[in-house]
Amino acid sequence: MSDDGMTLLALFQEVDPAAEAVEKLREMGVADERMNVVSGVPFKEEILGRPRVRTHVPMFALGGAIAGFALAVFLIWGVPFLYPLYVGGQPMFPVPPLLVVGFELIMLGMLTATFLGVFVDSRFPSYEPKFYVPEISDGEIAVFFDCPAGMQAKFEKAMQSLGAESVRTVEAQEL
Amino acid sequence: MAATAKPIQSIHAQEAEDDLRENLLFDPRPRSEINSMVMESMQTAGWKFWAVTTFVALFVLVALFGVWIYLILNGMGVTGTDRPIYWGVFLSNTVFWIGISHTGAFVAALLRVIKTNFHHAITRVAEFMAVFGIIQTGLSVFFHLGRVWRSYWLIPFPNERGLWPDFHSPLSWDFMAITTYMIVSGLYLILPLIPDLAMLRDHSTGWRKNLYRILALGFRGTEDEWKHLRAAIKIFSFAMIPIMVSVTTVVSWDFAMATRPGWSSTVFGPFFVVGAFHSGVAALVALLALIRITMKNMKYFIRPETFDSLGKLMLIISMAWAYLYFNDYIVPWYGGTSLDRLLLKFHETGPFAPMFYLMLTFNAVIPWALLWNKKIRRSPWVMFIIGLLIVIGMWFERFLIVPGSLTISANPFTWRIYQISWVEVSLTLGTVAFFALLYLLASRFLPFISPWEVQEGQESHTIRKVGKAGLPSASDID
Repeated sequence: MSDDGMTLLALFQEVDPAAEAVEKLREMGVADERMNVVSGVPFKEEILGRPRVRTHVPMFALGGAIAGFALAVFLIWGVPFLYPLYVGGQPMFPVPPLLVVGFELIMLGMLTATFLGVFVDSRFPSYEPKFYVPEISDGEIAVFFDCPAGMQAKFEKAMQSLGAESVRTVEAQEL
Repeated sequence: MAATAKPIQSIHAQEAEDDLRENLLFDPRPRSEINSMVMESMQTAGWKFWAVTTFVALFVLVALFGVWIYLILNGMGVTGTDRPIYWGVFLSNTVFWIGISHTGAFVAALLRVIKTNFHHAITRVAEFMAVFGIIQTGLSVFFHLGRVWRSYWLIPFPNERGLWPDFHSPLSWDFMAITTYMIVSGLYLILPLIPDLAMLRDHSTGWRKNLYRILALGFRGTEDEWKHLRAAIKIFSFAMIPIMVSVTTVVSWDFAMATRPGWSSTVFGPFFVVGAFHSGVAALVALLALIRITMKNMKYFIRPETFDSLGKLMLIISMAWAYLYFNDYIVPWYGGTSLDRLLLKFHETGPFAPMFYLMLTFNAVIPWALLWNKKIRRSPWVMFIIGLLIVIGMWFERFLIVPGSLTISANPFTWRIYQISWVEVSLTLGTVAFFALLYLLASRFLPFISPWEVQEGQESHTIRKVGKAGLPSASDID
C-alpha cells in the first residue's frame, strides 16, 4: 500500500468514530485512495464519508442478458435454418417459444454474468498476502491508511483521540 | 365537559419494549458472540447426531442408490407405470421437489427485496432448501428417464444427423427452465455465503482453516468487495422472483398443454406457483423448527416471532391455494366434458379418494382451523407438525395431478388404476432421506445462519424513544 512510509491500521468498534477517522485522515493529508475501510458488514459510502465506489456488476449483468437472448434467438429461430422440421402445423419461426426460452436464457446469462462480474471486479479468487486482521469479521471496522515516514506518532494520537481501540502498523499477510 | 387524559403507564411502555426485544433484530449481541454461537452450532455434535447421520446415509445408499441400480438393471418394468400411465410417481416427485426447491430461493429473494424484519436468520436455510431440493428434482427426472445414460439428449446440441431438439415442445422449455434454475439457485447460495466463509476462515484452525481459506476466495470486506457483492445480491434477489414464477409455470405447461382431462387448464400456471409456495413455505417452517430444536444456540436466531410471521404467510398461501384449486375444480365440474366430470368423480370416490380428502384437510382445513391463533403460530412444535402435514398434503396433490389424472383418458379400453411399486416407494423415500442427509452434512461445514446478515439487520434496526414508548425504527446501512 505504502511506497515510502508504512501502513497503519486503526480499529474501531462503532461506525461513527470510523467515519470521523476517515474525515480526520483526509484533513491530515491522506488522500482517499491511500486509505481503505474494511468491515464485517456493508456500509454505504455516505455513512463512512468515502467516495462512491464504482461497480461494473450491472454492466456484466446486461452483457450476460444480451448474450442469453442471442442464444435463445439462435436456438428458436436459427436451428430451423440448420434443420427444418415441421411439427404439428406450427410455424417454423414461432414467437411464443422464443418468449419462453428467451426469458430463461436471458435470466441464465444475466445471473451467470453477474456472478462472474463479482469475481472479476473483486479479483476473486486471490490468495496473496493482504492487509487484514481477523477482528474485522468480529464486527470491528478497520481503517487502513498510508502513514508518511516520521508521522506515525501524530497519526496514532489522532486516531486514538477519536476512539480507536487499537492503532498499529500492519504488514500484508496470508489470510 | 372536561376530558381527562390518562398518562401512559411506564409499565405498559416497558412491556411493549420487551415485546419488541423478542425480535432478533431488536435484541442485538456483539458480532464476536454471534460468530461464536454460529460456529459452536456447527462444531457441537454428539454421538446421537452421527448415529442419525450414519443411519440416514445407509438408508440413502440402499433405498436410493441401491434401488436405482436395480431399476437400471431391470428396466422401467419394475415400476408401476404402464399404459396409459407413463408418468408415474417419479414425475409427481419431480413436481413436488421443484416446488420445495423453488420456494427456497423465492422466499430468500422476496424477503430480501421487501426487507422484512424476520428474514435475516432464515434466508440461508431457505437457500439450502433450494439447492438440496433441486438435486432431488434432478434425481427424480433421472429415475423417470430409465436409460439415464442417454439424458444428455436433452441438451440442445445436434446429433450425428444434424437433428436438433424441437424447441416447439414444452418439454424442451422445461429443460431450459430447470437448468437455468439449477444453476442460478446454486450461485445465489454462494454469493451471500462468501463473507461467512471468510469469518469461518478467520476463526478456524487445521484442515477447516485451509478449506475455508480456499472457499472464501480471499474476501476481506473492503468497500469495493462489499459494493460488488451487494450489487450482485440485489440483482439476484430481484431476478429470482420472476425466475421462480416462470420455471414453475413452465413445469405446469408440461401438463396443461396436453389435451387431457385433469391437465388441460389455463389456471395451471398460477395454481402450480401457489402450490409450490404452499409446500415450500411449509417445508421451510418444518425445517426451521427442527433446526431450532436440535441445533445448539439456534433458539437465539430462530424465534417464536419468526414462526408467527411465517405462520401468517402460510395462512394466506393456504387460502390462495384453495381459491385456485376451486377454480380448477368448478370449471370442469360445470362445463367440462364427460371425461372431465368422470375424472373428478374418480378423485372423489375412487381408490385415491382418501388421498383427495387428506389433501384438502392438510392443505386447507388444518391451516385455516389453526393458524389464525397467535399462540399456535408461535409454537415451533405445533408449526412443525402443521408444516409437515401441508408438505404431505401437497405431495398428495402432485400425485393426484400426475398419475391420478392419467387413469381416465379418451380411450376407455386403456383405463387402469396406477399401482405404485416398491421400487417407486423406495426411491421416493430415498430422495427424502437424501434431502435430510445433505442438511445433516451441511450443518457441520456451513453456517445455517449468516452472521453478517444478522449483524447488518441489527445495526439497521433500533428502538427509538417516542415520548415514553420505545418504537421500532429501521434504516438502510448498505
